[in-house]
Amino acid sequence: MSIVINSVSKAFGTFQALEDINLEINTGELVALLGPSGSGKTSLLRIIAGLESADQGSIFFDSENITGITAKERKVGFVFQHYALFRHMTVFDNIAYGLKVRPRKVRPGKKDIQNKVHELLELVKLKDLSNRYPAQLSGGQRQRVALARALAVEPKVLLLDEPFGALDAKVRKELRRWLRRLHDEFQISSIFVTHDQEEALDVADKIVVMNQGKIEQIGTPEEVYENPQTPFVYDFLGSVNLFKGRLNNGKLTQGNVNLEIPDWAGSDNMEAVGYARPHDISICRESAGEGTVPAIISHIHLVGPIVQIELVRKGTNEYLEAEIPKEKYRKLGLNVGEEVFIKPKQLKIFTPEDFII
Amino acid sequence: MRSISNKQHENERIQVMGLRKSKKTGFKKYSILPGFGLTMGYTMLYLSILVLLPLSMIIFYSSQMSWPEFWDTVLDPRVVASYKLSFGASLAAGVINMVFGVLLAWVLVRYSFPGKKIIDGLVDLPFALPTAVAGIALTTVYAPNGWVGSLLGFKVVFTPIGVVIALTFIGLPFVVRMVQPVLQSLEKEVEEASASLGASRFQTFRRIIFPEVLPAALAGFTLAFARSLGEYGSVVFISGNMPLKTEITPLLIMTKLEQYDYAGATAIAAVMLVTSFMLLFIINFIQWWTNRKFISH
Repeated sequence: MSIVINSVSKAFGTFQALEDINLEINTGELVALLGPSGSGKTSLLRIIAGLESADQGSIFFDSENITGITAKERKVGFVFQHYALFRHMTVFDNIAYGLKVRPRKVRPGKKDIQNKVHELLELVKLKDLSNRYPAQLSGGQRQRVALARALAVEPKVLLLDEPFGALDAKVRKELRRWLRRLHDEFQISSIFVTHDQEEALDVADKIVVMNQGKIEQIGTPEEVYENPQTPFVYDFLGSVNLFKGRLNNGKLTQGNVNLEIPDWAGSDNMEAVGYARPHDISICRESAGEGTVPAIISHIHLVGPIVQIELVRKGTNEYLEAEIPKEKYRKLGLNVGEEVFIKPKQLKIFTPEDFII
Repeated sequence: MRSISNKQHENERIQVMGLRKSKKTGFKKYSILPGFGLTMGYTMLYLSILVLLPLSMIIFYSSQMSWPEFWDTVLDPRVVASYKLSFGASLAAGVINMVFGVLLAWVLVRYSFPGKKIIDGLVDLPFALPTAVAGIALTTVYAPNGWVGSLLGFKVVFTPIGVVIALTFIGLPFVVRMVQPVLQSLEKEVEEASASLGASRFQTFRRIIFPEVLPAALAGFTLAFARSLGEYGSVVFISGNMPLKTEITPLLIMTKLEQYDYAGATAIAAVMLVTSFMLLFIINFIQWWTNRKFISH
């Protein structure tokens, strides 16, 4: 089912949680709503589920306007952050709940319910635990029960609110792979809320980056990571190094450092900030004149094939981060406290207009 | 010197024995906080002096009677009628309190309205009020010429209905105070989950909220019921104490005491004690049964 969100706004008292949100989700997409806490992502998810009502705007499932329809009628599967399992029911009864509460006419028979639940239990690999109570399960198991429960009613839309937020890193990785597979298998549209950029980049087909009740950027993981449209997106989707200065004839100037920015050749004395990811920073031993920035190495992280180097920029004392392959690191023979020269290979420039949101 | 060292020896021996015993029976589990022996000992002493000893006096006194005497006293038609009224009215009051106590707790937890704190405080009033005052007040209001009594088409005061009203009054706080924290701890998300799975509001209440509240409501019912059985002060005013009709068992015990018939009084008391114990045992069993699911094993 495709979902269309049409200029939805929502305020809680004086706090504007969502402001004029427009979003389209195609059938079968797995979409991540990504943003810091308080960005309105959970509110948006709850409005789609019908657990909260929008102050303004409308929501369409396929071409049907469902803005005024209650959560009970929307037939979406919702997975809560803290699972919200029924603690007085067994795993089996939890999963069967959505089928058992159907009106008598459309309620499946006892046998059918049993088959369906067992099928789902197999899917979430909890077959042996069907008689346990939620209190007897681990966090990951509870989350899987919550998912199975939501899937039991065969929803066309699956909504997940920080589904892996409370789990440890390993279980988390496993579960999100599994979610990806599940999503592909069931052919449903899924939206999940997360504040973990790695999670969003890893599983989603499409990422919606939100900040302060507004959408900053919509795109594939590659698009939002490689080509962030706003400083916020750049900052939120990974570590970043900032180079402040003034743009003049394609050069970003600060003190006696001049960085070449060919894309901005026509610029004339304007304030600007250059953004560069740590892996876009190269380190060399010798100064290459005005195009390089002198810095002192303050820390070296050596774990893994990529070496993370923390530096302090000379003169401004700004903190910088670089990532270089281990081979290169060995070749350079870097040590903490040494002075080196860094050069951003790629700089994305944002001018003050970009910051006014 | 000798006595001191003896004492020390004994202490050590007790300690060693205690340790061994606890290992064998598994009563004592390892705990960060010490003091199991001390607190447990104090608990036993406290309960013995305050509860068990006085109660055993009942058996002791009534055992001074011969069996025929005992049965005569206990099965006297007037006494039997009082059992019926006492247990019947207490059960009725308990059930009424269970239903409306849950409702009251629901309103107090779920909604905010002006004066909520005051209403919340009013709930405790039946605890604080001297029962005789409550009895007189209820009698005045429900008497045929009282404010409420004059509006009702039937007689309340000096009938079993009056007894039920008095017992409902004094039992009110128990259910409310037991259910309130449970309702407070209910997550809103659970209800939302139920709704998003397609359940109606009634289904959500019946299948999700009710099972969670039931153990607490039952616990409240037990307390209210137990309290009602022993209630004397508020009932004697509103019941009118007509033999065979509106006499409660505690009143009969009082009457016997006033006639210096201690054995007779304790005989009736013994019957009440045993019956109450059995009833509470059954209710507690039901409570355990409904509650067992929440306890992780």
